[in-house]
Amino acid sequence: KGGPGARRAGGAAMAAGAVQGLGEGGGGRGFLGPRVPAEVEAMARSVQDVGKETFRRLLKVTVNALEGKDCKESVRLIAESANLSEEQLAFLISGMYTLLREALRLPLSTFKQEVMVTKIPDCFVLLFSFRIPEDFIVDFSSVVFGNRRPTSEGTALIQRSRLPSIQDFKWRVDVAISTSSLARALQPSILMMMKLSDGTAHRFEVPVAKFQELRYNVALILKEMNDLEKRSVLKIQD
Amino acid sequence: MAAPVVPESDSIRRAVSLLNAVDPGRFPRLVSRLLQKLHLKAESTFSEEEEEKLQIAFSLEKQDLHLVLETISFILEQAVYHNLKPASLQQQLQSIHLDEDKAEAFASAWAAAGQDTIEKFRQRVLTPQKLETIGWQLNLQMAESMQAKLKSPQAVLELGVSSEDSKNLKKVFVEFSHQELFEFYNKLETIQAQLDSLT
Repeated sequence: KGGPGARRAGGAAMAAGAVQGLGEGGGGRGFLGPRVPAEVEAMARSVQDVGKETFRRLLKVTVNALEGKDCKESVRLIAESANLSEEQLAFLISGMYTLLREALRLPLSTFKQEVMVTKIPDCFVLLFSFRIPEDFIVDFSSVVFGNRRPTSEGTALIQRSRLPSIQDFKWRVDVAISTSSLARALQPSILMMMKLSDGTAHRFEVPVAKFQELRYNVALILKEMNDLEKRSVLKIQD
Repeated sequence: MAAPVVPESDSIRRAVSLLNAVDPGRFPRLVSRLLQKLHLKAESTFSEEEEEKLQIAFSLEKQDLHLVLETISFILEQAVYHNLKPASLQQQLQSIHLDEDKAEAFASAWAAAGQDTIEKFRQRVLTPQKLETIGWQLNLQMAESMQAKLKSPQAVLELGVSSEDSKNLKKVFVEFSHQELFEFYNKLETIQAQLDSLT
């Protein structure tokens, strides 16, 4: 007689668990998500046996990878000098890469304050439960929240999901003195040339009335943006 | 004396004699209709059917009807080009021997709709692409694959650009962050200042 009722209850418990797990810095696995990625767990296990020097070199390679640089050579050198098998190296680097990539999603502004004092932000505390040595956790922290933070020009960190934005905007105001239809036209017109970030270029004329409409709408959007930024939904601390 | 607006060529002479022979009752409406559609380029004002009806109504052969319609259009285009006053137009037409009642018909149609037509011609552009529509959307981006906890406002501007060849409007989507939109606005303000300095 447990049947559907029990299943529903079980489902609800699972859902509650998942919700608890989600959310950065909250309960569960924090910024790593509801289920810790396998490579991070594997890295956590093997990193305990790695020396500080080797760890630092691995960290440097990982940061370079996040920045989109080629690291084949550096990885080879570490493999030779540190006496680590290819498999171990793979676990370590991929785990560190995933860990850092997820941590880098968090905006800097939220954490600057506390890291100054404790060197380890709240969200990284869960790393202790993986038995990662404290020194290493401090190193991870300094990469994410300190001045060694990788620049986002690297391919791994570029924001991909954007519509094209304006890369170059040129314009001209012309006055047509005379045309084949009008001896005395004296009509101003605006020519715009837009180059977008996706490589396309658009050149078109804007009649003066349409230009006014464009200007009005842009001003309107700016006003709405200002209002939006002042509203309480944006002041919620997370 | 200034050069005549309507030159006295052979075809004009022939057209004038045809025009003079046309039934004066229906003439004013014909002129008004042609004036209305003058600014539309490729379209011919009348469909095949309508042309046949006109042939019958004005008892003109097809060739002659075409000459008449083209001449009326030409006269009106010249009026636009030189921004003629109705009185001037009437005078010019009478000097090429168009009957007084027909010249008057031209003058009144021109007086009624001339300025509007000139304005429509002013708005015509030579560039192949023209901005026709503006739409926009303001979004609040909360997160994305590479960043959590964003709360950044993004605006998307949809610009409908017409192309001379195709009937379809090309939609150009452009995204702006607050800062980018502000910079864009400043550029628009600069353009406005230039426009203001023209007047």
